[in-house]
Amino acid sequence: MRTDRVRENITGYLFILPQLLLFLIFIVYPVFEGIRLSLFKISYTGETFVGFTNYMTLIKDPVFVKSTMNTVIFVIFIVALTVFFALFVASAIFDKNAKYVSLIRGSYYIPVMVSMVVMTMVWSFLLNPSNGLIPHLAREMDMSSINLLGNKNTVLPVIIFITFAINVGQAIILYIASMIGVPKDLFEAAEMDGASRTTVIFKILVPLVKPTTTYIIIMNIIAVLKIFVVIQLLTGGGPNNSSSTMMYYLYNNAFKYNQLGIASAVGVIMFLITIILSIPQLRAMFKN
Amino acid sequence: MKKHFLVLMTACMLLISVALAGCSNDSTEKSSGKGTVEITAWLTPQWKGVIDSSEEGADYDSFFKQAAKDFSAQYKEYDVKVNTQVIAGDQRDELLNVNLNGGTPPNVFFESVFAMGDYAHRGALEPLDDLVDDASKEDIPESIWENVKFGDNVYFYPFSQNPGTFAYNAEMFKAAGLDEYIGEENEIKTWTLAEYETILKKLKADLPKKKYSNAYPMGVFALNNQADTWNLAYLRMFGNPFFDEKGKIVVNDQAGIKATTWLKKIYDEGLTNPGAESVSSNDTNAMFQNQQLAINFTNSVLYSNAKADMESGKAPKFDMRLANIPSESGDPLTFTYVTGASVFKSDDEIKTKVAKDFVKFFSTDKELVKASKNAVPVRTSVVEEFKSEHPLFESYEANAKYIFNFTGNVAGYNQVRQVLYPELQALYTGEKKPADVVKDYQKNGNKIIEDATADSIIK
Repeated sequence: MRTDRVRENITGYLFILPQLLLFLIFIVYPVFEGIRLSLFKISYTGETFVGFTNYMTLIKDPVFVKSTMNTVIFVIFIVALTVFFALFVASAIFDKNAKYVSLIRGSYYIPVMVSMVVMTMVWSFLLNPSNGLIPHLAREMDMSSINLLGNKNTVLPVIIFITFAINVGQAIILYIASMIGVPKDLFEAAEMDGASRTTVIFKILVPLVKPTTTYIIIMNIIAVLKIFVVIQLLTGGGPNNSSSTMMYYLYNNAFKYNQLGIASAVGVIMFLITIILSIPQLRAMFKN
Repeated sequence: MKKHFLVLMTACMLLISVALAGCSNDSTEKSSGKGTVEITAWLTPQWKGVIDSSEEGADYDSFFKQAAKDFSAQYKEYDVKVNTQVIAGDQRDELLNVNLNGGTPPNVFFESVFAMGDYAHRGALEPLDDLVDDASKEDIPESIWENVKFGDNVYFYPFSQNPGTFAYNAEMFKAAGLDEYIGEENEIKTWTLAEYETILKKLKADLPKKKYSNAYPMGVFALNNQADTWNLAYLRMFGNPFFDEKGKIVVNDQAGIKATTWLKKIYDEGLTNPGAESVSSNDTNAMFQNQQLAINFTNSVLYSNAKADMESGKAPKFDMRLANIPSESGDPLTFTYVTGASVFKSDDEIKTKVAKDFVKFFSTDKELVKASKNAVPVRTSVVEEFKSEHPLFESYEANAKYIFNFTGNVAGYNQVRQVLYPELQALYTGEKKPADVVKDYQKNGNKIIEDATADSIIK
């Protein structure tokens, strides 16, 4: 009986076999290899098992602690800014003329289409303290020399703003699509009841686009956890590691310092954080 | 059902066979009787052209392409194809580490020795002692051979050297009334520290603002580790020896603190470009070429490239000259980057042999070694041949007695570089006091050296 069922389904299994093989080779194996490497000290000539030493080294390293704190700050502020601003823009325009909606949507989406590297380079040209446009204008206006990227108090807000400005278009697109899909009769009923626009937004729109909000939050958290390009190109983690993040710390250890064990340990920690943060979304998916 | 199964199995077999074919590691393919061997040669940007940057289509890989062609034409054992690739200096370690860990390092790497010493310590490089013949031993000074030796073995075949100095804009000096401090056209001018401070102050006060708007006296940078040798030189300005005889960093003393205090002082007084913590050496180099800086770091290759850019109209033309980094004692500070080729270890013995033969070929060929004139040749024979055309060669030679070994050939030097610039950023932003900067740098640097020495194959 069981053999019959297996035989019956074998074509189906064979169809998913190539994808399953690729998944095992390129996703599952690297994860386990990363966990294994995090327990070793790796040099060109060999590997030595060191247990949890790499994790202990990380905990004791002030740069790693700083990088973790910065990553948390980035996640909280960038995700919050993205969600609130995207919600604000989308709820303001979703029911307007289609051409107007397209114009606004396109304007915010342009930075998403342009490479992150290019956008960061443009900001770098603008902010360079010696020959950038913004510090130059500040000097022309007899303000003292400003260096937003070289000040540990301003570097994080600047990176938060730049990352937010580059990414927010994606969230706006998703919200507009989601809001356009909300049944019109709900708005008509609210209008009949004399509800104000604010009430419509907070009582109808926001609750009905909750699945989109959850999706945007989770996707942005995962993306911001991996924030790297802006840091690498704009500040190099500086000044004095003030803008270093977990991903940047991982990159430095893996590729600059050749400390693969340490880098793997950071990767494992990031993997665990991502899994924990994804649980609400996975739950929601399985509920549905 | 059976048919479906057969189709799927065939597809899987095809996939596996394609994958296995991609993994095959046979270095030689037969063609025209001789086997063909393909090797890779990487280099960081050095000079443009085969022998001279004025050649048509001159680029950073022109020399290696020509060398590969000449080598292949005369090589009897195999048909050789050399794939050359120019990589950015600031991406070198990332690319090498990724490829080393993936088992695909280049066969040949041409770069400054100081940046590659760690790979010798890690056991990734082939010793090249068997390539060094008596003629080359005699032609290249002993001090250069010492520079490329780690332990008892030679790991780099020296080709040229790039002495590091300052470059200054003589026209900006004149405009600020600093004529008396301008050296001869082919002189490497030496100023005392007091003179240097006068120059910086006068440049700040008297440089015509209309002609040189947004210009600063001196370039400083601490964004990353690029050109950090100049930052290391500044730390020695008050007599700090930097390394002790055991290869430990000893910058945390009165002389080291004095040097960092001096750097912070000139920075705070506006005698340098602002925002050093966010400015890279590439930025200051561009600013110098755009006449926004009067004094900036340079080495012999950067200097010739800058002159070539001026001649070709790529950059504004001005009277550019050389000066030494001053010190409190009056003796100038200078250093040299010996550049040369190394061979990475490979499982393929044939490729290793061909790579070594290629290195020996272009490092000894009478015509090709002339390209070393683009920097400063390490071979006395080439210096003699070109010194009338390049009067600076004699100036560099006269300067050689002031050269200090900035790496100490210590293990972990590349990683030690990564802990200097965050400390300098903390200095420039005022987050740390000079005494704390040298204290923390010494502590972190020595920890790295200690760990790397324990892992080094060179005892």
